[in-house]
Amino acid sequence: MRDEIAEVVRYRYLLQMLVRRELKVRYKNSALGFLWSIVPPLLQVFVYTFVIRGALGAHVPHYSAYLLCGIIPWTFFSTALLDSSQSLIDNYDLIKKFYLPREAIPLARVISNLIHFLLGWVVFFIAFMLVARLKKDGGIPLLPSMIWFPVLTVMEVLLVTGLSLWVAALNVFYDDVKFVIQTLFGLLFFLMPIIYPSDVVRVMSVMRLHPWLFKLYMLNPVAAIIDAYRKIILEPISPSYFNRIYAPGDSLVPSAPIDWGNLGFTFLLCLLAAYTGYRYFNSRKWQFVERP
Amino acid sequence: MTHTDAEILPDPDKSAMHAIEVSHLSKTFLIRHEPGSVKRALIGLLRKPRIEHFHALQDVSFTVPHGQTLAVIGRNGSGKSTLLSLLANVYRPTTGTIKLRGETGSKARVAPLLELGAGFHPELDGLTNISFYGAMLGLTAEQMQAKRDTIIAFAELGDKVDTLVRGWNDGAKLRLGFSIAVNTDPDILLVDEVLAVGDEAFQNKCYRLIGDLQAQGKTILFVSHDLAVVERVANRVLWLREGRIEQDGDVHQVLQAYRDFSLSESH
Repeated sequence: MRDEIAEVVRYRYLLQMLVRRELKVRYKNSALGFLWSIVPPLLQVFVYTFVIRGALGAHVPHYSAYLLCGIIPWTFFSTALLDSSQSLIDNYDLIKKFYLPREAIPLARVISNLIHFLLGWVVFFIAFMLVARLKKDGGIPLLPSMIWFPVLTVMEVLLVTGLSLWVAALNVFYDDVKFVIQTLFGLLFFLMPIIYPSDVVRVMSVMRLHPWLFKLYMLNPVAAIIDAYRKIILEPISPSYFNRIYAPGDSLVPSAPIDWGNLGFTFLLCLLAAYTGYRYFNSRKWQFVERP
Repeated sequence: MTHTDAEILPDPDKSAMHAIEVSHLSKTFLIRHEPGSVKRALIGLLRKPRIEHFHALQDVSFTVPHGQTLAVIGRNGSGKSTLLSLLANVYRPTTGTIKLRGETGSKARVAPLLELGAGFHPELDGLTNISFYGAMLGLTAEQMQAKRDTIIAFAELGDKVDTLVRGWNDGAKLRLGFSIAVNTDPDILLVDEVLAVGDEAFQNKCYRLIGDLQAQGKTILFVSHDLAVVERVANRVLWLREGRIEQDGDVHQVLQAYRDFSLSESH
């Protein structure tokens, strides 16, 4: 594996060119260009705010900030994996004719999505820290726990890279992979703490009866990472706000602090994903184009 | 890591003469008789898939000295493309070794010269594609920057280089492919059926370009079905038949034998 990593480092200029090509090709014929990486999450924020506030009647303070804290890491995870799953098929002509370390192809898609992800956070912080402060409604304070932000990002990059290598290699042999992840992601979006905080799940009556169920729920590394992002960036929010019968003045159920033990375990899972993903990719990469 | 890496050689003086050294090369493909899908894979857990071994190349050995142009001929399925893919380090040999060297005996820079526009992205402009192609051939940004103007001038592209490759005609794409291959100074060129496309004027241009490369002392290995092209360009011919070398040698002799063989096969 060390030799393989050294080979990717040797081809870093090609990797850089692949990333640039990804970024250029994605928005090649669009008038809004790069804005397209910001517009969809903002539209999602409008729609879900409407659903939660308007239709379901839950008055959650700063809901759009909480929502974006979930949508930004989720979008990175899901888009990078979907893009990677098609990467080798899209570049089939290239890898059939030229030698290059083949992992560079899904890696380029992960990196281009990482750039959009970081851009998303920049927009997030500008919007909520600066603009909200100008409006003098208090805005959102910068919490000292923000120092964990790079650690969470490293965790997510490891997880996304590992799983991307898995799906990219598997998709060459099994066309079903793309459909499986598309279907799965449609469901996971609602199952994971993205449009609501994990505390809402924690206080569900079935989870209260069987606390191990909630522990199981949080073993999902994506859920754990999204939950942690939200808790290090924003002040704790009570799950009571998401309860439809909550009225102003009622007592609030407190939010749980970050479960550091679980987060440490998640880090191990992310490392495991990266390691096994690269191992599997390397074991299959010479078979991608081999046809008689 | 790659099989083109220079290895420790027993006799550096003698082996430095050869640009390509292929010894006992075999390639076997495993053909699984089941379409790839998760459903099939699950069923396959219970039932062993039928696996057929296809021997695309068997025990092929040859050497090519620096500056030689070797044509590889043979019927469809004789292993020509497999050989080219192995030399381009796109396939791994099942057994045997491939050594590719530059004139100094160091690791060779290999440039595959491909069918029209392969390796170009149609949705990007010429300049971006040039940088990308250069990176594919293992050149750095600085090296590519230095050669860019020469490449554009040689390909006679002019202002067209700023436009999307999608809108280019075949001639422009092939000229750019040639131009990059020539001007990035590779040791070995691998050519796959490129010379048979285009009109006559265009083909003549291709021959002139190939002639230039030969004059520069490049080693060229090309695959072609067009025996007239082979006759015109090659110094030596390698005839592959069912994955083995049938004949290897003088252009006219091998071509004559191949023509006789083809005639007898068609009856």
